[in-house]
Amino acid sequence: MLVAMAFSSQLVASPLSFSSRNYSQSVPKTVPVALLHRYYRPISFTKTNSNVAIASGRKISSIRCFSALTPELKITLDKVVTSQKVVLFMKGTNEFPQCGFSNTVVQILKSLNVPFETINILENETLRQGLKEYSNWPTFPQLYIDGEFFGGCDITVEAFKSGELQELLEKAMCS
Amino acid sequence: MASRALLSRASRIKTKLETVLEAALLEVEDVSYQHAGHAAVKDSGANETHFNVSIVSSKFEGQTLVKRHRMVYELLSDELQSGLHALSITAKTPKEAAINISSKNS
Repeated sequence: MLVAMAFSSQLVASPLSFSSRNYSQSVPKTVPVALLHRYYRPISFTKTNSNVAIASGRKISSIRCFSALTPELKITLDKVVTSQKVVLFMKGTNEFPQCGFSNTVVQILKSLNVPFETINILENETLRQGLKEYSNWPTFPQLYIDGEFFGGCDITVEAFKSGELQELLEKAMCS
Repeated sequence: MASRALLSRASRIKTKLETVLEAALLEVEDVSYQHAGHAAVKDSGANETHFNVSIVSSKFEGQTLVKRHRMVYELLSDELQSGLHALSITAKTPKEAAINISSKNS
């Protein structure tokens, strides 16, 4: 619960008083990707507030073993990766990738004309760390096809060159 | 700890991969300078953050690409938590590497 509090923008204003309003409600059955950011709002730091927030975050981590992947986040991610056939967690957005590797995967997917969802992990540090645990993969981009982790940039490029990616996408789209 | 600080990240990566994977061929290249501008790296400085790693090892036999990459990531988890930002991995078995070379030559 304490970890989930880190998502709340209220933490910045009053770091020691936690509001559980957003996190005691149950996650609805279908969670469109847009809601991912509503439940896990990015924190906007001012200089002074960030020290307090980070300090309290560190304090928490020394008391409890800090895992970014809370049960709530895991459930939400389960829904997000299955909400669409192709889901890409990347740095930046579809229109403005902020990393060469993320851009490569975006361009490949665009050239194959498949509909895909992108999520910008730079906007939300806890989502970023939680995803590393969820996927058991330490870097981004991370591509999910049909709810299953497919790989990062290198793997996507290899599969694209060998034709494996196109095959897998066709299968996923038709099922 | 002092000896660790003296060794560059590239040599640490090389040592870790060599010992465990018994690599027939291992290349580690620091390409941090290519990513010096980008968003996540800008503040901390482009120092030993991005590497290209090329490994040929028989330990990759029968493993999917995802498994091979995960093996490498697990071996380098310390580095990943201490500032290593991204790894571009080419992981081949000796057979695949030979096929690669012969198709390049032909």
